[in-house]
Amino acid sequence: MSLLSICEWIQNTDSSTALRESTYLFPIIETTHVLGLSLSVGLLVVSDLRLIGAGMRRRPASEVYRQLAPWMLAGFAIMFATGLLLFWSQALKAYNSVFFRAKLCLLILAGVNAIVYHLTIYRRMNQWENKLLPPPQARLAGWLSLIIWAGIIAAGRTMAYTF
Amino acid sequence: MAAIFPFFQWCDSSWLGTTIRNSQFLFPVIEMLHLFALTILLGTTLVLSLRLLGVMFPQQAFPELASSLMPWNLWSLAVMLVTGFLLFTSEAVKCYGNDSFRAKMVLLFTALLFRFAIYPKLTRGWGKLAAGVSLVLWFSVGLAGRAIGFLG
Repeated sequence: MSLLSICEWIQNTDSSTALRESTYLFPIIETTHVLGLSLSVGLLVVSDLRLIGAGMRRRPASEVYRQLAPWMLAGFAIMFATGLLLFWSQALKAYNSVFFRAKLCLLILAGVNAIVYHLTIYRRMNQWENKLLPPPQARLAGWLSLIIWAGIIAAGRTMAYTF
Repeated sequence: MAAIFPFFQWCDSSWLGTTIRNSQFLFPVIEMLHLFALTILLGTTLVLSLRLLGVMFPQQAFPELASSLMPWNLWSLAVMLVTGFLLFTSEAVKCYGNDSFRAKMVLLFTALLFRFAIYPKLTRGWGKLAAGVSLVLWFSVGLAGRAIGFLG
């Protein structure tokens, strides 16, 4: 079964049609997805600012991350759930959208960046957590995260224009 | 209300409004900046509010946290106001009859008034109230903003 036929199947399910044609449910999910940016990417930006040495510099990087992480992860869980539902309602259009494909690629890139960061320089955080300016590798991870997530927001918004 | 309608017409037919309306990519690009700024404005508002509520950064004094995050909060607010106004000029007459837009403006001016006249005083001693009101106001502005497209 190809990806295309899976997307066709999703789009033709009763739940997809109901979601797509709903008066309130779709706008509620969409609005939650947009305002959920605050809890997910919004807090991630604050964490990235610490990494690039542009915000909360006087607090240990480990404390900044520890305080933000639970809220941020809850935010990303909301984004994933609502995003999945939005995809479910427009699977075929999403499949054919170059912006949706770009968004998925960027999401994977963001994930890879986060994993690489957590497996490398994050593990040695006790050596640099009190520095006002974290080491180059941490700053790079922070900048990459900021740029990739800006791209994800841009791709997501543009995708909706073409629907 | 009718007294301000000429202002909406003037914005709508201004050089700025027509340029944005007639361009294929200006509106989406400005809206994207609006969305980037929203992420930072609401994100920093959340951190500051959660601190005032005592559930985030309990070890850090609020003034210290504020001195670090308030510049980002205020700059993103400035970007939101500028990009928001630009988006508005491109469809000002349409906005005039839009109930969600009217609600958004009432909420926005209330939020701005609260932010600059009341919030700074409230954070000393009435932190939880300041956090609650500011969260409700700013997220309501966002909610009404999203509703402009959905409800009209």
